[in-house]
Amino acid sequence: MTVAVVGIGRTEYLKRSGRTTKAMAASACRDALADAGLTIADVDGMCTFQANDSSSPMDVAWALGRDELAWANSMYGGGNLVADQIATAAAVIEAGLCKAVLVYRSLNGRSGYRFGTIEGPMQVTGENQYDVASGYLVPPQWFAMSARRHQYRYGSTCEDLGQIAITQRAHAVPNEHAFYREPLTMDDYLSSRWINEPFHLYDCTSEVDGAVAILLVGEDMVRDCKTEPVWLVGSSNSQSGAGWSSWDDPTEMYSRTAGPKIWANTGLNPSDMDFACMYDCFTYTVMATMEGFGFCEKGQVGPFFAEGRATYGGDIVINPHGGLLSEGYIHGLNHHYESTLQLRGNAGVRQVADAKVALVTAGGGPYGGANIYSKERP
Amino acid sequence: MTDARLLPPIPVPDPESAGYWESLSTGVFALSRCTECHRWMQVPQEHCRWCGATTSFEEVSGRGTVFSFIVVRHQSIPSLTPPYVVGMIEFDEQPGLRLTGIIEADPDAVAIGQKVQAIIRPIGESGFSAPSFELVP
Repeated sequence: MTVAVVGIGRTEYLKRSGRTTKAMAASACRDALADAGLTIADVDGMCTFQANDSSSPMDVAWALGRDELAWANSMYGGGNLVADQIATAAAVIEAGLCKAVLVYRSLNGRSGYRFGTIEGPMQVTGENQYDVASGYLVPPQWFAMSARRHQYRYGSTCEDLGQIAITQRAHAVPNEHAFYREPLTMDDYLSSRWINEPFHLYDCTSEVDGAVAILLVGEDMVRDCKTEPVWLVGSSNSQSGAGWSSWDDPTEMYSRTAGPKIWANTGLNPSDMDFACMYDCFTYTVMATMEGFGFCEKGQVGPFFAEGRATYGGDIVINPHGGLLSEGYIHGLNHHYESTLQLRGNAGVRQVADAKVALVTAGGGPYGGANIYSKERP
Repeated sequence: MTDARLLPPIPVPDPESAGYWESLSTGVFALSRCTECHRWMQVPQEHCRWCGATTSFEEVSGRGTVFSFIVVRHQSIPSLTPPYVVGMIEFDEQPGLRLTGIIEADPDAVAIGQKVQAIIRPIGESGFSAPSFELVP
């Protein structure tokens, strides 16, 4: 059975929500249901991904007035799981286990638990324990380490990373939902403080409080919805246990596998994409994955952005909403909100002309995946 | 009394990592190695991830190369005061055998490809020790 996104919902993205993750998730889910013209009674599955920082599908369903769910899945992890969440929700529908699934992500990412904020005495278990003495325990360090290797091997520069930050910020300027909307210049970028060299402040995503919900249904339910469906064409996924030290080549990411795989799965290629929402926890993630998904040769992403090929009027619009870097870090699920809005033709002043097909990626480093959505039924 | 929030992160040894931490506490830098195919692996595994044989901890030279590095300028880890350099070190024993550690050097002096030597340092007053690295000519 073919599966489509029929509803999207979200809260505001704020510094301090003053709400529970459950309440925000429920709001975003209500929003998505209203968008689709369905009710919670139509939904029999819910899933999310979290890092012990959110509310469970059962609790959110209960808050929405649903007593029981046929499928209530909560995966532990980060943005590497978003594509997998969408693909798995679709597979659950295709397998007949559910008719309608809400995928949500809700977090107080700024006012609550923040990635990269560690208070001692932190007791580190598992694969990360070997990095305690260097304190190499937070994403802005892991990704910076990889970016340095890319600079060494391919001659990419901080200015190249800056071009990504600047372009995405320009996209966010007209986006009323974006957390950061002030235009950014290369001078602003280069004079911003170092976080971990080679990363400046503007290489890092904007943590916010908020929630997004995406409602997927099978083709049999599409006609019951009031929205134009956005069809899921295909997905790919590649998750490695190499961690940050044993991943053989940090100038590449999961996209070296998930990229070729999604093109093979769908029979499409990068030039078929009208826009792409590239997962951008950091600027470098966009750089390495645009190479991996085949949009650019190694080392050419900086010039690609600098020459205007990644924006309106260029080859492909990358992150028309401003991405996680400027719109806010709802852990990548806001990419799916944006791609749906664009493919419906409802993105207002930032609408990508004639947008029909889009790639949405998720994750960075050794783990991640991607989905392709289409306006046309596959 | 020391503010507990300012103490350094400490490892929680498990059956696969205990040998690593025990060696370091006696001044020996040892990594997990297959007893059959003799390949090294970091992180340690109970059984070899390539051939499935048992593993043991064996002392390494501590010599390696800077594979990549960052200069930490923003404090996110208690007890470590920026700026400092974190290196990803690839050891001479085997390509791809890597571990991170503080490089005890001026940030401007560090470059990818430089040779380093491990030195074992205590992790605060936790009782644990771990390798740091110094540049060697």
